[in-house]
Amino acid sequence: MWSEGAAEPVYRLEGLTKVFNGTLTAVNGVDLQINRAEKVAVIGPSGAGKTTLFRLLNLTVRLTSGRLWIAGRDVSDLRGARLREVRRKIGSVYQQHNLVPRLRVVHNVLAGRLGAWSLPQAVRSLVRPRGEDVRAAYHALSQVGIPEKLWARTDELSGGQQQRVAIARVLLQNPEVILADEPVSSVDPTLAHGIVRLLVDLCSAFHKTLVMNLHSVDLALAFFPRVIGFRDGQVVFDRSPAEISDDLLTDLYAGRITGVSVEESPDAAAEPVRSCTPILRS
Amino acid sequence: MQAQSNPATATIPQPPHSGGRTANLLVPTGIAVLILWSWHGTRFDLVGLLGADGRAQMLAYASKLFPPDLSPDLLAKVVYWSLETFAISFMGTFLSVVVALALVFVSSRNLVFTGVLFEVDEAGRPIRIARVGLYVVSRAVLNLLRTVPHIVWALIFVFAVGLGPFPGVLALGLHTGGVLGKLFAEVVEDIETQPLEALQATGASRLQIFFYGVLPRVLPQFLAYSLYRWEVNIREAIILGYVGAGGLGQQIQIAISLFLESKLLTLILAIYLMVTLVDYLSAYLRRRLL
Amino acid sequence: MLPPNPSEAALPFSDRSKFLFPVLFWVCFAAAFVGSWQLAQVQPGLLFEAEGRRNMAKFVTGMFPPELSPDFLRFLVVPLFETIQISVMGTVLAIAIGFPLGLLGTASLAYTGILNDLEIAGSRARRFARTLPYVLARSVLSVFRCIPEFVWAFMFVRAVGLGPFTGVLAIGVSYGGMLGKVYSEILENLETQPSEALQATGASRWKILVYGMLPQALPQLVSYTLYRWECAVRASAILGFIGAGGLGQQIELSMRMFNFHEVVTLVLILFLLVAAVDFLSARARKAVG
Repeated sequence: MWSEGAAEPVYRLEGLTKVFNGTLTAVNGVDLQINRAEKVAVIGPSGAGKTTLFRLLNLTVRLTSGRLWIAGRDVSDLRGARLREVRRKIGSVYQQHNLVPRLRVVHNVLAGRLGAWSLPQAVRSLVRPRGEDVRAAYHALSQVGIPEKLWARTDELSGGQQQRVAIARVLLQNPEVILADEPVSSVDPTLAHGIVRLLVDLCSAFHKTLVMNLHSVDLALAFFPRVIGFRDGQVVFDRSPAEISDDLLTDLYAGRITGVSVEESPDAAAEPVRSCTPILRS
Repeated sequence: MQAQSNPATATIPQPPHSGGRTANLLVPTGIAVLILWSWHGTRFDLVGLLGADGRAQMLAYASKLFPPDLSPDLLAKVVYWSLETFAISFMGTFLSVVVALALVFVSSRNLVFTGVLFEVDEAGRPIRIARVGLYVVSRAVLNLLRTVPHIVWALIFVFAVGLGPFPGVLALGLHTGGVLGKLFAEVVEDIETQPLEALQATGASRLQIFFYGVLPRVLPQFLAYSLYRWEVNIREAIILGYVGAGGLGQQIQIAISLFLESKLLTLILAIYLMVTLVDYLSAYLRRRLL
Repeated sequence: MLPPNPSEAALPFSDRSKFLFPVLFWVCFAAAFVGSWQLAQVQPGLLFEAEGRRNMAKFVTGMFPPELSPDFLRFLVVPLFETIQISVMGTVLAIAIGFPLGLLGTASLAYTGILNDLEIAGSRARRFARTLPYVLARSVLSVFRCIPEFVWAFMFVRAVGLGPFTGVLAIGVSYGGMLGKVYSEILENLETQPSEALQATGASRWKILVYGMLPQALPQLVSYTLYRWECAVRASAILGFIGAGGLGQQIELSMRMFNFHEVVTLVLILFLLVAAVDFLSARARKAVG
């Protein structure tokens, strides 16, 4: 299923829809295909449904209708041990608050192996981690640049450092796919660049598929050969950066600042703003 | 960022040793010893309880409890006793709030002799000593009220005014008054000083600072603690009934000593309903009022 | 969306409903107050009547001097130890009962939230299978904690007779109910994001609980358990009144024989014991936090 030469795409979505509480449609009939070792950025205004798409792809929430294949396997109705088996192959990096604050960094990094360990092994690791595990965690932390923090308490680290711990955790998990949901939105803009580059380089080096939700259009266009525009739960465009014009970006983000859509605004007749890079959230 | 080469040669930091090996072992060992000693001393005997004999005895007793006596006669009385218990807990909590409020403002350091209100105090030594003395005395009174178990207070008051629900009210009022008084005083002592400083800077007198700065901040917390204490008091009211302070507790004591098991289950059901009701009311009021 | 004319924007609630609740509340409060005054037969005058005053005076004078003879104090060592032991075993039993039931009674582990969404969605049977243990556990905990330990003690006396073991069982069961409820509330109030992240690595609920939730909840769990231990010390003294041993039993004996000077000593010792336990538990709470 996950072998090197496999022909199936890593993700195949067919009419994927997610409706919350019967009324809120977050993802609306998405058709998409992502192949092995592809690097894809997903951009779009807040509330577009990017996070819901992320949670559908990493099997956190259940789809309402449509089909989802992961590496050729229909996962729409997966449960129990088989569900967990598939989840092990998908690594997730979140925006923030996804580490256990009171644990030491080494334990949070080793959490990447939680899917593979048995319960007694997990307990033992909390009490006294095995030497080989500690070495592996140290190695991962070196790759993200903070090896000295091995035994620090996680809540003593800065936001940027915690994100790197989260990436180290994914490294230890060694999944086939890495999904990231706005991993740098809560991080200093100066560090954001480094973190995105780190993830992209790691995925290139190890032939992993990468799908990243991004708030910053600049980072998306700079690092990703394929950019998907997402708005109101649907794919608006799916192109390489060279093919993405300012107009396309304007349409994607237009109307989000005032809360009134472009068609309804009395100013619709006027010329839309030419260059439209959204203000970076600091 | 490139993968580090040769991680095996890099020195891996060691875990920090907090307090050394011996200290880490001391606490769990101490706890284990304490538990073993208590196991032995209380003649803890799960086997006896859950073994064939013990089970048979418990089952025999439990079967005597069923079916509960639900005759209209008894039910009417049980309703009355339940209301009586409710009344004891209600009045007892009310009295305790009165007692606590009476003492809290002289039991809080920052209102009596220290803190931002007294930084530029110009009173002479005798007055300062009197203030500290007042604080010490009122804290001692609160301590006394708290420490004497409510059941002892109940016995004292039964001794003084006779049997019935009234001594229960007094016992709860005094004992809980001590508990609440201490909690209230902690709330007052913990309030932020900045708003008080600001008021002081506008030239407000101590009394004004108290009414406009302190009271609005502490009253919600007082209310929360009082409501929470009411939940505890409904249970205490039942225990006090055992020593003659009326309500469902007294009835339980009578039913057990006269071996009226079927009546016992009815009383237990009434207790369960009463306690659940007060728990629910208290939580509801806390949500609505705070 | 702003309404076309801001002055026509509706208030979130009408004026009437805001007025209704305070009125209703005060009416109920007044009714409860008057009713309770009657039912509890509150008669402040009784305290000041001649007989009441005489009895109080007898009591106060009987208290001093407190009985401090070495014989008596030595005699009290066993009851003192018994009270401590009852409180410790009672708390241990309460944890043994409350912890498993509390886990079962945690909604976010049983059937709600992202830990359960994919597992039970779309299947009523599966949802029921998850909800049932939750409801049962919560009901059992409710019964355990809403029946005061004193009533439990009375029932256990039948099975195991008088003595400290009864006290342990009574405290264990009723405090088990309280611990279980609070444990489940603590776990339910944890941040869900770390659990979501752990789930995404393919971990089962058990592993998420042990690795992510318990370490995070530990200070609160320990803090409340220690608080319950302090309460258990006081409770075991009270249970002594109905024969469960310890200082309470001695207080009851002394009061029955009107030896108030002994009662004072006993209360004093109880006070010192509670203060010591307070101190220990405060230290322990600081160490874990």
